[in-house]
Amino acid sequence: MIALTHIGTYLPERKISNLDLLNKFEVDESFIRNKIGVVYRTRKEVHEKASDLCIKSFENLQEQTPLNLEDVECCIVVTQNPDMNIPHTSAIVHGALGLPESCACFDISLGCSGYVYSLSVVTAFMQANGMSKGLLFTADPYSDIIDENDKNTALIFGDGATVSLLESDQPGLVALGFDFGSKGASYKSLISDGRLFMNGRAVFNFTASTVPISIRKLLEKLNLTKEQIDAWYLHQGSKYIVDTISTRLGLDRDKVVFDMYEYGNTVSSSIPLLLSSDLYKIQKGQKIGISGFGVGLSWASAILEKV
Amino acid sequence: MSNVVTVKKILETIEKAHLVNDVNALALDRPLSEQGVDSLDFSGILFNLEEVFGVEIPDEDIASLQTINSILIYINRKK
Repeated sequence: MIALTHIGTYLPERKISNLDLLNKFEVDESFIRNKIGVVYRTRKEVHEKASDLCIKSFENLQEQTPLNLEDVECCIVVTQNPDMNIPHTSAIVHGALGLPESCACFDISLGCSGYVYSLSVVTAFMQANGMSKGLLFTADPYSDIIDENDKNTALIFGDGATVSLLESDQPGLVALGFDFGSKGASYKSLISDGRLFMNGRAVFNFTASTVPISIRKLLEKLNLTKEQIDAWYLHQGSKYIVDTISTRLGLDRDKVVFDMYEYGNTVSSSIPLLLSSDLYKIQKGQKIGISGFGVGLSWASAILEKV
Repeated sequence: MSNVVTVKKILETIEKAHLVNDVNALALDRPLSEQGVDSLDFSGILFNLEEVFGVEIPDEDIASLQTINSILIYINRKK
């Protein structure tokens, strides 16, 4: 059985304050704190690429749990802002870390649903191939594609990266089940041809209508109730969307983790970033819910249990 | 039972979605944006109205839907 055992993270020290932009975008501080939920947005250095952020998250992982590089059997990067079109960013990470030639590498192109999707893909890949240790990176540096004058996107996104260590037969979080989906007909609602465009209302409507259904469906499939879930780690799209989903599902607000004030929406990194703070506190037998949603338009939800 | 959407039904929908602190304090003919409803809450209101009354509100119609009264007329026309 493959379990999520450790998460390394990286958030750039450089930050942009949304409080400096109140006049520019004609919003007040309450809107920034209570609706957007992002006070500061982390910013990588301009020359840094997704792979650089991945490597810094790996350094953080190594501080938590020293890892013998020779033992790593797969290296996967979730990104839609790769270092370059060719090759895949995971190959660049592989080379930079000095992972063994026997280590499998591939990228997964997904946005905010990417972490949840990838947990399923990578654990299945590892199980099918008898692997014991794998690295699942997330890094989607949106600062490269943000128009700082676009109110719909400029106040939201931050840069960051994570790496999840997946191991066989170790204590950690194990997936009990997943729910996936896509509304490809609406892909133009969140799109980039070098500069990000978001139809905020369309993305909000999609999320508010789809994610609660996905989570309910998953709970039903697993014969669980929402009360049996000890904590919820929803993609941190904005405070407003996390609040909306929580309200529509009738979740106990004390169980809904929210923490993006200091760094922003980090796309596929948002769920592992949140989870990294609590990972070692989750007790054996406790269950958590995770759900990612966005670009595609795509969503994925999962229930994990500590074993 | 009448299919006519009333002000009361619209206000109840907004209230149930927890989008405005006191719906009864809303002036019906004043833009919602002037009554403390920000752009995100306005999107939330439209979403709930679409869902409850089974109407689709395209982006291009939004500019004309700034007050409760204008929303009321619009929804009854669309139904």
